[in-house]
Amino acid sequence: MFGLIGHLTSLEHAQSVARELGYPEYADQGLDFWCSAPPQIVDNITVTSITGQQIEGRYVESCFLPEMLATRRIKAATRKIINAMAHAQKHGINITALGGFSSIIFENFNLSQIRQVRNVMLEFERFTTGNTHTAYIICRQVEQASKQLGIDLSKATVAICGATGDIGSAVCRWLDKRADVAELLLIARNQERLKDLQTELGRGKIMGLEEALPQADIIVWVASMPKGVEINPAILKQPCLLIDGGYPKNLGTKVQYPGVHVLNGGIVEHSLDIDWRIMSIVNMDVPARQLFACFAESMLLEFEKLHTNFSWGRNHITVEKMQQIGEASVKHGFSPLLI
Amino acid sequence: MPQLEAIQDLDFHSETYKDAYSRINAIVIEGEQEAHENYHSLGGLLPDQKDQLVGLAKMESRHKKGFEACGRNLKVTPDLEFARQFFSPLHENFQTAAAENKIVTCLLIQSLIIECFAIAAYNIYIPVADDFARKITEGVVKEEYLHLNFGEEWLKANFETSKAELEEANRANLPIVWKMLNQVDADAKVLGMEREALVEDFMIQYGEALNNIGFTTRDIMRMSAYGLATV
Repeated sequence: MFGLIGHLTSLEHAQSVARELGYPEYADQGLDFWCSAPPQIVDNITVTSITGQQIEGRYVESCFLPEMLATRRIKAATRKIINAMAHAQKHGINITALGGFSSIIFENFNLSQIRQVRNVMLEFERFTTGNTHTAYIICRQVEQASKQLGIDLSKATVAICGATGDIGSAVCRWLDKRADVAELLLIARNQERLKDLQTELGRGKIMGLEEALPQADIIVWVASMPKGVEINPAILKQPCLLIDGGYPKNLGTKVQYPGVHVLNGGIVEHSLDIDWRIMSIVNMDVPARQLFACFAESMLLEFEKLHTNFSWGRNHITVEKMQQIGEASVKHGFSPLLI
Repeated sequence: MPQLEAIQDLDFHSETYKDAYSRINAIVIEGEQEAHENYHSLGGLLPDQKDQLVGLAKMESRHKKGFEACGRNLKVTPDLEFARQFFSPLHENFQTAAAENKIVTCLLIQSLIIECFAIAAYNIYIPVADDFARKITEGVVKEEYLHLNFGEEWLKANFETSKAELEEANRANLPIVWKMLNQVDADAKVLGMEREALVEDFMIQYGEALNNIGFTTRDIMRMSAYGLATV
């Protein structure tokens, strides 16, 4: 059995979903209540592969809300993630993806130091960040959507914003080794890590955001959008492919300009309908078929009976592992969302 | 659960700490004493399982002695009168139910609500306890899971006939728990225990127990949050 740990996007969203699903005890509550709310399994999922194989999964709502980070209720935020993981493990789920902010919180607050949760000893091999599949799908989106727009990768400049992150660095590795990309622009806050990445790749220009954007034919956005940073689409090339692979996704609504094509990054479509209710709640365009690639990773690991933390820690994603998860992705009928 | 940030420096021998501890320690001692009595009462209601219940009652007595030692170790005199007042609404409800042979209500109060609350509180206390109390509490919490299990198993076996009474007993008693929690909020904070973590751990433990008994997720979300908003 596979699992997905997810959360809602805001307090307001959480209240409306609780009302819609018929949980008035949760619907009328403020942030304080959600800070004390326990994790729950709220959906049973059946996924069928194009091979005919069928698997079962569970959706674990962690009750985390982004407002907990915004108001610095860090202990509450971290409790939500750890408790949701313990809940998944207690319910015998073999491999669970940490969706949305879950993996970000796990990494940033170093939650791997916490193993004992009440009477549960967390087995980290039962969890995956799903970042390998996300990075693979973003790379395939670069390769395939660029063709749709008539951008020739061998002449194209690709800017990666958030290049030193787990997903960003994996995207850089793939584009360096597997795609015939003319130029890579590396953008991130930490200069030391940027230099390390540049050394590892043996290529790529380190640049500031303002300088890089006007030069890029393709922009891969894999950093969370810091407050106050807005992209002025007038400075971008035309055509420009902007892949929004950050979390939460917000470039689509912010950037609307002729010749600038915004694509939701790290989203896959399944060839067959998935039997679940939860994706309509998280506002996917085609809820029966579209989902985050990180979630799909736990499905792929279940299909392949690879019950292991396939994506874990930071900057361990190799091109070979991306290839491996990519082959499973194709085999079972997942494809990258395109324009 | 384990704390993430550096735990605030607690001075176990300060007057402020000892003052708060005199009430929290008394609650734990009184709680274990009442649990001891309640399991004896349950033994009368469930003669087939009397031996097992007497065994559980003995464990509670031993826990009480352990916690009395924790108080002595910090040279604190437990405020037992406060603790008796603190437990009296729940205690009265148990007594009334026992007098009416309402086994389901008695099990919900003692084996589910009180045990889940004890487990949550002990788990939250362990990381912030003094060394002596930590060892005692770690031993106790392991046994409390057995007590919870007794109630779960009995109610699971009798789920269909117990369901309506469980719902009613939940409505009558859970709001009392939230009020009790509010009463000790400030003292618990002095000991380094946060209210929202306590509530969360309680709801997790209680939800798991209700799930084991046979309730659905929908029932659990409704029942375990009952009355929390109005407190």
